[in-house]
Amino acid sequence: MQKSTIVDTRVRLHASKKVLEFLDAHKAHFDEAPANVANILKKNGIKLLDKTNVIKDSEISVKRPTIDSKLLEKLTENVQDLPAGEEPDLEQEKEEELKEEQPLPADGCYLYLTDLHWLHDVMLKLRSKNISKLFLHELMDSCELILPENEFKQRNPELEARCQRLREQQQNREYQKMTKNVDATLQHYPEDTISYQRTFFLVISMIVIFNNHLSLLAVKSINKQIIAVAQFIFSVAAGFTFGFFGVNLMIGPLPFGFRILLGVIVALVIALAEMYFLAKKLHEYDEVLDAPKRRQTEAAPKTSGVQPVKPHIE
Amino acid sequence: MTADDSKSEKNAAGQLLDSMYLDMFYLIEAHTQCRVDIERTNSSGAILLARTKFQQGGHSLTTAQIPTENSAEFNALCRVVEKAERVSIERHSVDKESGYVEPLHWFSVLPPMSLRTAVERFKKSIELVAESTNLQRELAKILNGIDRLRRSVAQ
Repeated sequence: MQKSTIVDTRVRLHASKKVLEFLDAHKAHFDEAPANVANILKKNGIKLLDKTNVIKDSEISVKRPTIDSKLLEKLTENVQDLPAGEEPDLEQEKEEELKEEQPLPADGCYLYLTDLHWLHDVMLKLRSKNISKLFLHELMDSCELILPENEFKQRNPELEARCQRLREQQQNREYQKMTKNVDATLQHYPEDTISYQRTFFLVISMIVIFNNHLSLLAVKSINKQIIAVAQFIFSVAAGFTFGFFGVNLMIGPLPFGFRILLGVIVALVIALAEMYFLAKKLHEYDEVLDAPKRRQTEAAPKTSGVQPVKPHIE
Repeated sequence: MTADDSKSEKNAAGQLLDSMYLDMFYLIEAHTQCRVDIERTNSSGAILLARTKFQQGGHSLTTAQIPTENSAEFNALCRVVEKAERVSIERHSVDKESGYVEPLHWFSVLPPMSLRTAVERFKKSIELVAESTNLQRELAKILNGIDRLRRSVAQ
């Protein structure tokens, strides 16, 4: 099981019977109602009046309320902060109270922040007209707050199967690497014969062309190196051509010896730069092939004389 | 205190409690959104780092390139500043002479695009963390306020 990202960041309030009763009792005073509230009422068999317009969430003004901190300070000046240890008791008591008093909440009815804003405005109006004396927080006390939570997702079985397959392949490869100098039939593993002999790869590439019995894999891995070498030769040749002909064409007639010297100098500079990149590329290629082997040798000195058993990669 | 006074005070308290509850909901949502954003930018930065490693080979990005205790000292480019109960991130521009070095140049003089984008993502992520801290503080304040007000009403 894996935790996934929170999809819905909205806070929900599980509407209780008390909220529904309140809405039912005062539905005559609503000029408009959000779609979600209208839905909830419909689900619970309460019909809105015809004059009530159903509005979308985007039409409700959701402004962050400003808190009058001076008033808050004035009202709570004689209340002491509770020490941290005492709070859980109070909460437990509250929860117990809620459990006892709370009527069963209606099923699947969730109020969102926009609905609460609307409800707040409605209650403000009702209070100003002296129709109801209830406050929003009194209604909310009977509701259950549901915070946004991460979903738990099963790992995709396809991915799991693929990982398993790749792991097995890797283990097989390592096993063959370990045992190939023991088993005579594995001596002619392509990676062992041709790609490893980088020093002679030019010669070997010629052999590859004339030897059709070599496996396709070997040709493939050699192809990369042939391309690298061909690029090297081409750029050196191009450098020489530039030095030999290009400078002559630009500046005017130059003596033959000087032209050759220029060509060689330009070709040499390019050869040096190319050599650096070629060496880097070949080194990286080597690293990839040798990585499992090197890890083994690195781990070996830590144990004193006892040959460690290579763990499986899990 | 007359009955009228206590009634209006109770009204004001109720009104205040209502708006505090609404503010609390707003802050919870904003905080959650911020956390989700942090998660997104962080993971996308990590993926870009992995991509750089994949494209450049394992040696282009290693911990060996990070300065050790024996390296020359340098100043932090990014600092957390606290002003009036708000946390913010302050960035200094790169200035080699006064010791503000660009960390990206430890890895390569010409960093690949993916590495540069990864750096941008992580920078954004730090700013989001600061924002999240601010929201969390506000939320704690509101929760404390609600708690106190409820007890004062109960008295």
